[in-house]
Amino acid sequence: MQNLNVNSERYTLNMGPQHPSTHGVLRIVADFDGETCVSADPQIGYLHRGMEKLLESRTYVQGMPYTDRLDYLAGVNNNLPYALAVEKLLGVEIPERASLLRMLSCEIMRLASYMVGIGIYIMDLGAVSAVFYPYQQREYALEVMSALCGARMTQGYIRFGGVQADWNEQCDAALQKLLDEFPPFLEMYHKLVDENEIFLHRTKGVGVVTAEQAKAYGLTGANLRASGVSYDLRRDAPYCLYDRFKFKVPVQQAGDCHARYVQRMEECEVIYQLIKDIYAALKETEGGEIMGKVPKVLRVPAGEAYAQTENPKGIMGCMVASDGKTNPLRVHFRRPSFDNIAIYSELMPGHKMADLVTIIASFDIVLGEIDA
Amino acid sequence: MEFVNNIFVNIADLCRALFVWLLNLLGLPVGLAEVAMVAVYWLGIVIVCVFCALFYVIWERKLAGYIQRRPGPNRLGPNGWFHTVGDAIKLVMKEDIVPDGADKNVHLLAALLAFVPPMLALAAMPFGEGMTALDLELGVVYIMAVTTLASLPVLCAGYASNNKFAMMGAMRVVNQAISYEVPQALCILSVIMVAGTFNLNQIIDWQTGNIWLVCLQPVAFVVYLITALAECNRAPFDLPEGESELTAGVFTEYSGMRYALFYLAEYCNMFVAAGLATTLFLGGFTGPFLPGWVWFLLKTFVIMSFFIWVRWSFPRIRADHVLTFCWKVLVPLMLANVLVTGVVVYLLA
Amino acid sequence: MALKTNVRFPQRGGMPEGDPNNSHDLLTQEELEKRGILLTSLDKLFRWGTGWSLWPLQFGLACCAIEMICTTQSRFDMSRFGYEVFRNSPRQADVMIVAGTITEKMRPAVELLYHQMPEPKWVIAMGSCAISGGPFVDSYSVVAGADKVVPVDVYVPGCPPRPEALIDGMLQLKAKLLHPERQQVVRDVK
Repeated sequence: MQNLNVNSERYTLNMGPQHPSTHGVLRIVADFDGETCVSADPQIGYLHRGMEKLLESRTYVQGMPYTDRLDYLAGVNNNLPYALAVEKLLGVEIPERASLLRMLSCEIMRLASYMVGIGIYIMDLGAVSAVFYPYQQREYALEVMSALCGARMTQGYIRFGGVQADWNEQCDAALQKLLDEFPPFLEMYHKLVDENEIFLHRTKGVGVVTAEQAKAYGLTGANLRASGVSYDLRRDAPYCLYDRFKFKVPVQQAGDCHARYVQRMEECEVIYQLIKDIYAALKETEGGEIMGKVPKVLRVPAGEAYAQTENPKGIMGCMVASDGKTNPLRVHFRRPSFDNIAIYSELMPGHKMADLVTIIASFDIVLGEIDA
Repeated sequence: MEFVNNIFVNIADLCRALFVWLLNLLGLPVGLAEVAMVAVYWLGIVIVCVFCALFYVIWERKLAGYIQRRPGPNRLGPNGWFHTVGDAIKLVMKEDIVPDGADKNVHLLAALLAFVPPMLALAAMPFGEGMTALDLELGVVYIMAVTTLASLPVLCAGYASNNKFAMMGAMRVVNQAISYEVPQALCILSVIMVAGTFNLNQIIDWQTGNIWLVCLQPVAFVVYLITALAECNRAPFDLPEGESELTAGVFTEYSGMRYALFYLAEYCNMFVAAGLATTLFLGGFTGPFLPGWVWFLLKTFVIMSFFIWVRWSFPRIRADHVLTFCWKVLVPLMLANVLVTGVVVYLLA
Repeated sequence: MALKTNVRFPQRGGMPEGDPNNSHDLLTQEELEKRGILLTSLDKLFRWGTGWSLWPLQFGLACCAIEMICTTQSRFDMSRFGYEVFRNSPRQADVMIVAGTITEKMRPAVELLYHQMPEPKWVIAMGSCAISGGPFVDSYSVVAGADKVVPVDVYVPGCPPRPEALIDGMLQLKAKLLHPERQQVVRDVK
């Protein structure tokens, strides 16, 4: 109901780059008419570190730790496409145990990343306490990674030909702790957040993305599946040994912020089951090799290869072009969050100021990935 | 127990006797003793304000810690109770920044006047038997009028800061404060209709004689707590201070001691709201065994803890939902409550 | 309303030498403290108070920001020392924890935020990127270290530093506040 006799002024509000919600250094220049957004312009580049150019002046192995810093919430997941692309060029075969370890570590860090995504989402809505419980689960997951390869966050665990270190009893104990603690947490969190009136009012009907829009903008990952498109790279174009495992791919139809929350919560259960299955398979390959036959000085044959994996934020791809030297000629990453936020300038107008934060948080972006 | 119950009343009488003796000595009219007592009462209220603010700052952080499964501040003092001392010392020594285009006088005045409404309200609050500094016949109306003023310094702060975020916050404060006055007034009206008087001490007497009003007016109690949260700008109604939306909202441009004044005034406002809830619904300072003022402090402690619990549990409400909730849900509900109460009182009288 | 004290580091000469043949009737401050009498200057009181109440500015740039958040969570809990009050507005913050890489595009924002913070203020450089540019030091768009932009007080190494390391960094800053005469803070300080 607009009163056309009221003379209101548009004003420009600048959110960021120092942003209370810690998705990173994103800047949104938005025009408002009262409380309603009229236009929004996301501005990125505040974390552009020149990663792709830097990789050209490092050897392949030296470049591996840089990939961790892309989606820094889930380090190993970014190592994987880079490793797969180079291994395509090398033509090396990965031992089964190494593949299983890769998958297990990726799924554990995927769980950790989802914990941050969900926790920060609820925190941005105002319920600060609700971020502490997912982070506790993240700590259990990080303990597993710490026991496995020594690093909590940016691990650099996946190497060309296999993985860095083998599974040990400490990891067994830590993983058992995670598997025990996670289901009661999930149940508790459902009870805490799902039926909350304020939460439902804030998120239902906000930031609706239709399936066509999602496909047109190249959304991937949980954002795509929350808009009704059932596409998961692990099932539809499997890499590593994902074709061995059967898992559910949940899909929501609504496409709004609430659907994205429900999608991530349901996917947490899928990941939990997948971790158990991969762990059981890992137990059967006791004593296997963790590294394939890869030369010490890596000179990758000339050519071009592209590998993509399903990351927590979406589909990450890595293109490696080599001209036979020890340094890559060109490395390019297809980063999921970069494509995910392209939709903001179309999605945000028409929403209230508080909804902008809800929309940003529900897409679960990470700036290291957007800016590379 | 009688002695402890009346300890503050006795101290006040002692002061009055001292003033009377002094005035007789100096040959001045004895009526001036009452004027001097005003200063004593005011000092008492200031001490209560300051101590409650200091206590509740640290209690909030500790309770937040317990809700979030962590210890909270626990290093300075026994189990961490003196952390506020460190905060206060630090805030005193911070540089005072006033932004370039800001209205300097209003910027300062808003900070200074933030403490005035809660102090005025506490003047009429019955802390214990005979411990009401200002026992007015229209006590409830006076407190309602004064708590409305509490949002005015916040509005001035936002307006004077020359900052878009602060301005947005200020507009939201006005929205909330004006809207939630209406259900609050209707809650208090329901209580008054049952108790039959505006005087706070007489309401407490009525409750001692019959039953606590929370049992007779549960709906009004719940709605009163909700509107109290809205009036004090506490979550889930803390849009004026925005946080995850817009930095620090209204107080973006406030640093050091000026910010400390707003920070502490918020706790004093909450204390006033809790005190009024105690008086109107929970029987005020009455209770077995312990002295009256201890009961008052305990009951306000429970209600303040409830406020803190809600703050750390619920998400924030969007600005337009705040208004729809008030006008489309609370006001009709309270009007129905007033109607039912009126009918019942008429039938039973 | 602010009281002007000069809190700059490092400052005046060393601590007064204890004179073993103290033949004066006056007692030094340390001897008084041994007898249970506390004398202090306002400066010392303020520095003590500030040490217990360092409010960080919410300023996460990159990966180190996630470890900074983990430091405030239940497992590591920075709030035990009173430091969990992260302020969003620079006007109310004391410490700027530069957590992550500073790029050329972000540099003016960092400087502006630093200037917007009221005195006295400190800066903690967390992580390799903030200390010296880290793995991105030879990139075309990265500033090689936070101390090229703002004066840094404490450096916390790591990539990213563990949450315990960040807490240690904050405590080192507190120790620096309490002992301004020392050039380099020694490890075992209460």
